Amino acid sequence: MGGGMSGPSFNIDNGYLEGLIRGFKNGILTRNDYLNLVQCETLEDLKVHLQSTDYGSFLANEPGPLSVSVIDDKLRNKLVLEFQHIRNQSVEPLSTFLDYITYSYMIDNIVLLITGTLHQRSISELAAKCHPLGIFEQMEAIGAVSTPAELYNTIIVDTPLAPFFLDCIFVQDLDEMNIEIIRNTLYKNYLEEFHNFCQQIGGITADVMCEILAFEADRRAIIITINSFGTELTKDDRSKLYPCCGKLHPEGLSALARSDDYDQVRAVADYYAEYKVLFEGAGNNPGDKTLEDKLFEHEVKLNVFSFLQQFHFGVFYSFIKLKEQEIRNIIWISECVAQRHRTKIDNYIPIF
Amino acid sequence: MSSKDRVPLFPSRLNLMLMKNRLKGAQKGHSLLKKKADALTMRFRQILRKIIEAKMTMGDVMKEAAFSLAEARFTAGDINSLVLQNVNKAQTKVALKKENVAGVILTTFDYMAEGEDTYELTGLGKGGQQVARLRKNYIKAVQLLVQLASLQTSFIILDEVIKITNRRVNAIEHVIIPKLERTIVYIVTELDEGEREEFYRLKKIQAKKKKLRIQAEEDRKMLKMEAGVKNLLNEVDEDLLFGN
Repeated sequence: MGGGMSGPSFNIDNGYLEGLIRGFKNGILTRNDYLNLVQCETLEDLKVHLQSTDYGSFLANEPGPLSVSVIDDKLRNKLVLEFQHIRNQSVEPLSTFLDYITYSYMIDNIVLLITGTLHQRSISELAAKCHPLGIFEQMEAIGAVSTPAELYNTIIVDTPLAPFFLDCIFVQDLDEMNIEIIRNTLYKNYLEEFHNFCQQIGGITADVMCEILAFEADRRAIIITINSFGTELTKDDRSKLYPCCGKLHPEGLSALARSDDYDQVRAVADYYAEYKVLFEGAGNNPGDKTLEDKLFEHEVKLNVFSFLQQFHFGVFYSFIKLKEQEIRNIIWISECVAQRHRTKIDNYIPIF
Repeated sequence: MSSKDRVPLFPSRLNLMLMKNRLKGAQKGHSLLKKKADALTMRFRQILRKIIEAKMTMGDVMKEAAFSLAEARFTAGDINSLVLQNVNKAQTKVALKKENVAGVILTTFDYMAEGEDTYELTGLGKGGQQVARLRKNYIKAVQLLVQLASLQTSFIILDEVIKITNRRVNAIEHVIIPKLERTIVYIVTELDEGEREEFYRLKKIQAKKKKLRIQAEEDRKMLKMEAGVKNLLNEVDEDLLFGN
């Protein structure tokens, strides 16, 4: 397949979009911008500072006093617009690649819908809470559904997510399984599928994306292990949630499946050079970065590296992830400003 | 009402005794009520101090909780809608208890957590630690809120009762007891007056009797002196039947 096209042949189909993405990437907030934002005293100040960045006057027409949720919505809408523009212009295989990116949001939306139907909530309110990047056409038809099994049989089978359900979730189990387990199982399948797809494309895309996805898989395995200590999740169930496309597969994953506490997890990670570094600086004392923060930083670093190479699809994925991190950073700073709780305001993850 | 008010009674000794008993009862009641008011006021001040403390910590606790929500959102993404959809039965409940303080029934609320934890696995994929911290912070905030609520209800109930009791204490002290005292004074004065009248009447009668006695005495003396002493046997009377 033409995924291995290197050099000029890549630009025939995807040159415009890669240029566009690199343009967007230049608009991502830099350290200076963050320093400015951190010094704001009110949300209005924040709005003024954002106006001088790529965001421009996206908040200009907001009525009434600014609130953090409004800023959140607007930031996300901007990202969705940019993504949809790129998606609309793309051709195969880039369009499938971009679709894969949206599947993770679809998983979140479906999990939300399943929980909602389990508790008989009205569909229109659920639809309003779904992530816009994860909307699929059959969503409007959900009104007629009342149990998750029905939801699966009438709707989910038609979506691109059906294969993720097939392998390990039986329809009857949907009603009883804890919603988080469903979500994590779907996500594991999604990651593995995505990884396979990228390897099929081959070339630089495969190099870049598989590195990023491998880290994502390992990160999920580590986090799931740590978070499942002290809960009712058994070790077997836990190991079923580990995605297999990372560096930890297979020895690391089986070691993780056996571990009982944080120190054992750390010992497993010590075998892998990059992960050992992450555990070193992490801690739960105030003033330390948490493990999650270090994982975020590593992810940002990998995503930034993907821009160093040209002629591959990884830049699209990295751009989305970096933009998301930027949105999280801006919201974090806005919350600190709005609540006047400035001690941890520097806990954002700087990107460039 | 004129301050000369008193209980309208016939001033008799029986009523005097009754009134004296009533006065004693009123004084005892007054001191008991005063003790109750003092106990309630002391409790009231304790509660007030606790409320002030709780309100001060409330500010900090709420701030902490809202901030941990922001932290959780940063790491775990938007879990809001998911958590809301998953709500089933209340896991945090409030139990009502009654307490008796100096005769006043105060209701207190107790925080109760029951039911299994349906949110244990939230944030399993990312942000689990932050979500756990968030839950702890908000549970603390809710506990504080429940405590504050129960303190405030006791505060209001106590306030009401203290006002009523103080009103009663003052009423007894300034209205009832003076009224009874005035009644007693009145009865006593009336009785005294009656006695004085009695006394005066007696004295007057005595004086009159004395005068009469003296007069009678004088008359007899006078008669005695005029006639000398006559011997009845020397007297010859006319023969009525065979008189000549």
